[in-house]
Amino acid sequence: MTLLTVRKITRTFGEKETAVHALQDVSFDVEAGTMVALVGRSGSGKTTLLNVIGGLDRPDTGTVHVDGVEVTALDEDGLSLLRREKVSYVFQTFGLIPVLSAAENVGAPLRLARTPAAERERRVALLLDLVGLGDHAGQRPGELSGGQQQRVAIARALAASPRLLIADEPTGQLDADTGRSVMALLRGVVESEGVTALISTHDPIMMALADRVIRINDGRITE
Amino acid sequence: MTGLLLGRARAQWQLLAVLVAIVSLGATLLGTCALLVTRTADRALEVAASRSTAEDAQVTAYNVTVLGADAAGVAADTRDLLTSSLAPFEVRTDGRASSVLRALSKDSAGYLSAVQDLPASAELATGRWPSAPGEGVVLETTARQLGVTTGSRVRLGPELSRDPAPALTVTIVGVVRPLVGTGWDRDPLAGAGFDPAYRDTSSLRDSRAYGPFLVGWDDLLATGSTLDRLEITAVPDLSAPRLADLDAVTANVRTADRRLARVLGERVRIERVASQLPSVLQSSRHQQQVTNAAVLAVAVLGAVLTATALSLAGRLTTDLRAAESALLSSFGAGRGQLAGVAAIEAAALALLATALAIPASSLLHTALTHLPPLGGAGLASAPTITAAQVLTIAAGAAALAVMLIVSGLRAAPATDERTRRDLLARSGADILLVALAAGGWWQLRAQPTGDAGGPDVVRVLAPALLLIAGAALALRLAPPALALADRLARRANSLPLPLAAFEAARRPQATAAGLLVTLACASATFGIALDATWERSQRDQAALAVGTDLTLALTQPPTAGQGAAVAAATGGTVSPAVDRGVAVGQWLGGAGAAPRLVAVDTDRAGALLRGRLDNGRTWAQVGAKLAAPAGAEGLPLTGTPTLTGTASSGAHLSVTPELLLEDATGLRTTCATAPVTLDARPHRLGACVPPSGVRVIAVAVPVTGDAISWDATATSDIVITLTIPGTTPASAKWTATSAAPSAEQLTDPAVTTGRSGLRMTGTVQLGGPPEAARTLVATAFEDPGPVPVAVSAGFAHDLGVRVGGRLDLTIGLTAVPITVADLVPAVPSAPGGAALLADLDTLSRALAVRGDLGSPVDAWWVGDPVHTELTGLHLGTAVTRAGETDRLTAGPVPAGLPAVLRLLVPAAALLLLAGVLLHVTCDLQARALEVARLRGLGMTRREIRSTLLGQHMVVLLPLWAAGAAVGALSTWIVAPLLVRSETGAAPVPDVVPMWPWPAQAGLLTALLAAALIAVTSVVLVQSRRADAAHLRVAS
Ligand SMILES: Nc1ncnc2c1ncn2[C@@H]1O[C@H](COP(=O)(O)OP(=O)(O)OP(=O)(O)O)[C@@H](O)[C@H]1O
Ligand SMILES: [Mg+2]
Repeated sequence: MTLLTVRKITRTFGEKETAVHALQDVSFDVEAGTMVALVGRSGSGKTTLLNVIGGLDRPDTGTVHVDGVEVTALDEDGLSLLRREKVSYVFQTFGLIPVLSAAENVGAPLRLARTPAAERERRVALLLDLVGLGDHAGQRPGELSGGQQQRVAIARALAASPRLLIADEPTGQLDADTGRSVMALLRGVVESEGVTALISTHDPIMMALADRVIRINDGRITE
Repeated sequence: MTGLLLGRARAQWQLLAVLVAIVSLGATLLGTCALLVTRTADRALEVAASRSTAEDAQVTAYNVTVLGADAAGVAADTRDLLTSSLAPFEVRTDGRASSVLRALSKDSAGYLSAVQDLPASAELATGRWPSAPGEGVVLETTARQLGVTTGSRVRLGPELSRDPAPALTVTIVGVVRPLVGTGWDRDPLAGAGFDPAYRDTSSLRDSRAYGPFLVGWDDLLATGSTLDRLEITAVPDLSAPRLADLDAVTANVRTADRRLARVLGERVRIERVASQLPSVLQSSRHQQQVTNAAVLAVAVLGAVLTATALSLAGRLTTDLRAAESALLSSFGAGRGQLAGVAAIEAAALALLATALAIPASSLLHTALTHLPPLGGAGLASAPTITAAQVLTIAAGAAALAVMLIVSGLRAAPATDERTRRDLLARSGADILLVALAAGGWWQLRAQPTGDAGGPDVVRVLAPALLLIAGAALALRLAPPALALADRLARRANSLPLPLAAFEAARRPQATAAGLLVTLACASATFGIALDATWERSQRDQAALAVGTDLTLALTQPPTAGQGAAVAAATGGTVSPAVDRGVAVGQWLGGAGAAPRLVAVDTDRAGALLRGRLDNGRTWAQVGAKLAAPAGAEGLPLTGTPTLTGTASSGAHLSVTPELLLEDATGLRTTCATAPVTLDARPHRLGACVPPSGVRVIAVAVPVTGDAISWDATATSDIVITLTIPGTTPASAKWTATSAAPSAEQLTDPAVTTGRSGLRMTGTVQLGGPPEAARTLVATAFEDPGPVPVAVSAGFAHDLGVRVGGRLDLTIGLTAVPITVADLVPAVPSAPGGAALLADLDTLSRALAVRGDLGSPVDAWWVGDPVHTELTGLHLGTAVTRAGETDRLTAGPVPAGLPAVLRLLVPAAALLLLAGVLLHVTCDLQARALEVARLRGLGMTRREIRSTLLGQHMVVLLPLWAAGAAVGALSTWIVAPLLVRSETGAAPVPDVVPMWPWPAQAGLLTALLAAALIAVTSVVLVQSRRADAAHLRVAS
């Protein structure tokens, strides 16, 4: 079953002489339950593509379908709903809310979904255990290491049981060893939670772990 | 360095503009206050002086006994001295002089007088004013008594003194009537024209005195007459005074007495210079200090508010520049170098703010002086720049700039260690503040008069201290409250509002922002409440000081029918009134002030009496406890009464009857007649020709005669019939008594009423003490018994009396028993001291049954007058409650306080708004990335908006409420201590703290609405900007 369909996406920044063609006629499909690595040089258009897929950015032309929903046709509220229910992010800079503890960060998407408190707490505990941070539930992001923060971010991304997990260089800020363990974790959760993951990376190990690798060069897919 | 500064200024111009605006606002406030306490204060003293009455401004020199030869010289020297003392003001001088007595006939004497501006103090009845030497005019009474008319020539014999001037003849060219209030009280015979027994400083025995024979001023000085009194009055023209001149004149007038003595030397026996001017100017200055202290207190409050706003701005600036500073440090810039950059920037800021604040404060001050109350007080002034103002602004701007640097240096990156140290320091500062505020409050309470030389430091600092301490304490309540919100939020299901609570509770609190919001709210509400409290107190003081809506203090005893004239002229509730000093038993009062007796018609107390009472009582209720049971009916008098009397056993006795008459308005007047012999023949009592509507309510007949002597043993039965025309058969019961002292010298007093009048009988003991009254008193009422009075708290305290207590009151020479029927905080028109309030009717009855028929009435009191202009009545000076209120609330000297409070409220509101805007903007800018992440989590814009809005409102709302609470608390604690009377003493009645709900609700709503709009607009802008673009920015 195809979870993600990308068709003829173009995205240009700026105009005329200064125009940057970040994405040019990008099309591909991703099967449900696979882990796909998006690979390319810096400036090749990875982030732009992920933003367009997740609805954080709009393409100039082309369509994106996630789980049967045409992302490129959604309005603001539709996009918010999409992010709550189907798509979640893991950012390079972790993206945790500083004033919330690890558990509360993981619980945030569940609160958005208005999950009852008891059920929320159960799921948060489960997810923190899954990412190996069961003992750090009460700590704030400032009190966690980079790797730990990224694990929390992954747990949060999984909290609302999304269909598609988008991660933009999730190991970019981490040392090699930590990065590797985060990658392993991602690989693990894709299996255990049954989500589809689209992960941009420079990391060869990641490519090795992925089910499929999509290469992008100057805004074009070169797979 | 300059490159960096300029570059940064260009990049952060909005921030710098806000900083400049805040410093300028503070400096402008300070500059305006400086102008208020210097220029406007001086101007207020000048305006107050220009409004002083001639009586207050005049300087009078009294010389006693001047020989004829010296008269002209002494007059000229005195005039010169007064004129030079009052220089540089234009001076109008007046003279009044009287000669010693000269023989008129064997046992009568007369005296010459001169009044320099005679037509201003008397009106011609017939004839003309004297114009040539030897011409003179006399008063109507003198003319009648002496039987002289125009054309008469009166020979005034040699003076009765040791060194007599020769006789002279005065040709009478006119007869005049004295005008009330033009100095006739200082005539030897007080303008009465005649005195059966008078002696002056030169005569050895009493003689029948007639006078004055009013001649021309130069004429009198040229006659060589010895002057018994020579009085020169100088009235300076204070219509446009300069303060320096007023001060010089005050000093000169103070020493004028000594200088006059030196100038006149042996030429006069006694000389004295008297003037109210120095004390009037002094009390104005005193009142000015009271006002200035309040203005300065507001200035301090404004400065504290500005400083708080600035420390907030300073902290935010440092936060915004943290990265930049770190970069500069990493390039090797030292801490000193960074401080240097900050100092240069702050100096530039201070200079710019000074340059802006000087014209701004001048304009603001001008605007303020054109608005009420300053405009109404005649203090409107053109824009000016003064040295004091510039210095204050420069110093204020510099101090604020230093604050900015210091607050920037302090806000180094927060570490746990540092936060703990800060917390400890803050606790210490809080405790210190509370201790200082408590100390200030205690000082204020202990020294309510604040009689220091300059503006009292405690008075100036106390409000600001109290408000800061209150705000600091209120801030201490915020963390626990927010922690509670946090706990509640944890259990909730949704994200936006719980997240708002988490953000509010868990972010390190911006102390400066919180303090600013609380303090500004507290200051603004306190300002409004203090204004209302002050205004109310001044009103209360005016009401109690006047005692009624209008008082007309009489310069001469009232005449029958006057009440109708006063009622017609005012159109209000009119009552004759007594307001005079009395003795209570042997007690003459403490602190040099006799206890005051106030008596009016207490039946109408509700309509007449003013001044705040305690416990919600009304004057009508108090009056009901004092009012007389029923009116005295009396006998209508329509024509001249006649008296027929007989004395048994052939004793030669006569009586000098006095009739107590009551007119339609309840005014009681006395008519005293010439002695009447008890010879069985009818005698017309010609002096008692009544106006219509008058009734006789009491008659006193003191018996005198040759037959009465110390060693006589006989008695004489007297029968006196008073025929009163127009009397119809009266059912009224009359009462007869014998008056003290030695009432036993007239026994069996009795009175019966008949078809034609009264028949009084009694038995006179011809022997016995000569000072015995032997007065038969017949009254249309019974002895009212002890007069019920309401006594002031001061009276009750001084004498330790309670309700039900009995005392003796000495009014004039008559002792009247009283009983304390009620206690009141203060008696109308007698604030603060020992005073009693009685019913005039009852008091007058008590006096009458004791043989004292003289009217004690010395004023008219009017409630709810329609017209207040009474100069046309020529009865005396009128004082209105409205006028007094106006003087106390909107007079030039006190008006500074409400004016500056009107400045404080908008300044506090502006600073509050600026602080909120600054804080919210910086907070949201710093958290743009976080907002974008929330979008990434799937929060809608609406949800993000409610989170951000909720987060700020959850902090702002309690602070706003806490500010109002601190303002209210401060009002209750300190406003009554700040409000002073014009003398600087604690006001009477007590100050009631006022909290004008509509105004406060309006203000608080406006503040909240403004803050809400500010926060909302920033949040809207910020939430719209939050998009994916922010997500690419590395943290
Ligand atoms: N908002 C923007 N405005 C202008 N140009 C942009 C914007 N966002 C991206 N670009 C340009 O589009 C191109 C693709 O950028 P993108 O961030 O997608 O690259 P990337 O593959 O994610 O690079 P990296 O591996 O460094 O993250 C770049 O040339 C970049 O300069
Ligand atoms: Mg990228």
